[in-house]
Amino acid sequence: MEDKNTSIEFSDNVIRRFLLGSLSAPEQLAFEQRFSSDPRLDSRVRRAELDLADDYTYLRLSTGERELFEEKFLVSADRRRLVEVSLALRDRFASASVLKTKNTFIAQLRTLFRLRRPFGKLAFGLAILLILFGATWLVIRERRIVERITNTIRPRRSAPRSAPQEVHHPANTSSPEHQTTPAPMGVHNQTFSPSVIIALVPEASSDRGKMPSLTLPKGEQAIVRLQLALIPSQAGTYRAELLTIDGQTIISADSIRTPENGSAQVDFDVPARLLTTGNYQVRLVRDNAGIKENLGRYYFRVQ
Amino acid sequence: MSLANTHVLKQEDFERMLKWLDPDPELRGVTYEKIRWRLVAILAARGCICPEELADETIDRVARRVIDIQDTYVGDKSIYFLGVMNNVHHEYLKRPTLPRPPAPDDDVEAKETTHLCLEKCLDKLSPNSRRLIERYYSESKRAKIDLRKRIAADLGIGLSTLRLRALRIREKLQTCIEQCLVSEAQP
Repeated sequence: MEDKNTSIEFSDNVIRRFLLGSLSAPEQLAFEQRFSSDPRLDSRVRRAELDLADDYTYLRLSTGERELFEEKFLVSADRRRLVEVSLALRDRFASASVLKTKNTFIAQLRTLFRLRRPFGKLAFGLAILLILFGATWLVIRERRIVERITNTIRPRRSAPRSAPQEVHHPANTSSPEHQTTPAPMGVHNQTFSPSVIIALVPEASSDRGKMPSLTLPKGEQAIVRLQLALIPSQAGTYRAELLTIDGQTIISADSIRTPENGSAQVDFDVPARLLTTGNYQVRLVRDNAGIKENLGRYYFRVQ
Repeated sequence: MSLANTHVLKQEDFERMLKWLDPDPELRGVTYEKIRWRLVAILAARGCICPEELADETIDRVARRVIDIQDTYVGDKSIYFLGVMNNVHHEYLKRPTLPRPPAPDDDVEAKETTHLCLEKCLDKLSPNSRRLIERYYSESKRAKIDLRKRIAADLGIGLSTLRLRALRIREKLQTCIEQCLVSEAQP
């Protein structure tokens, strides 16, 4: 079947716009006809899919492209696998300037120990046991060390904040305990505070139009505090994980506690530099004496 | 309302369609996968939230019709699929709007396996390919252009050739990792 479309040479840009679903109707029609009948276009489209997945993972897409990617590209299992491999490549090779999450570190650690293999699991278990025995022995031998450590850590544990590696903790200045307890973190308490605070309720809506939104503060050190409402407040520690709307982990924080003032919320501090315009979700898990309970997701949008 | 609940595809219809697609038994599977992949890509570009479901419905319908058309149909078989897909898509547009399916949960074990498979597949690359991939993917978003220029200059090739080379290796890695994931999933 010979038609005028066979003579058209589609540029890489057109292929990319096809994959993002942003061709005009006539362009789309012409492309579909050609794509369905010209096997030579297959390899170019496949490579464009890979390139797009890499660009998405390495945060190279514009805001508009990113939204189109999540809405119109990331809709099949095959394409989700492309992104998974892109993420693995990024974790394996990318320098520290590309987002490097705690989660990735854990994944790499697990990979190192090859936990899926029985020998790896055994070795990992033995290593943990040895560390536990060593720590217990130290504690029994020198109780003063315990007291010193406890005294040093207590103020920090009274209202820990998320992502200690990433953020100089802003602390809850309204907490009365902080005013009366000797606080080695006092300097941090006063120097660092969130630039933006947004209150989120669980599962409010993943609908774009209804998501609470925030405007990113400026500055490398700017902090966005996500106040995650708990319904109701319960004992235990919490793990908060910030993800893109399609499920890519950006950052996570463990062992978060509710503020000392009894507020039914978890404060999750995120460096603003990790966020770009787009939709996000936060997954919150409660850990009560080792029993993990998924408390749901919180959605928000960065404008 | 699902499009796919009206008929059940018989194995013999499916086999007949594969045979109609390509007389060479070795190539039938590949041809089928390519057609399905194209249908998914087109339906996704049209904004369908479940392109795989619609592509499978398209293939089912074609499979059921092959018995009637196989002796008389002349022309590009892919275009026939496109025609049927247009009907399926038209029906899809009449369906009540459904919410987007939720993104799959983050599976830590799957991530670990992907990382393991990546290591295995990297080991299978030639030293040159591996070196190229390591450099190509070590870029940060800001350093992308500079780094690629440096790699291209080192290799004495243009930027577009570098991209093509890197993506070909990336394609091999993708295929290798997917095969590895399948074999890892088997008990």
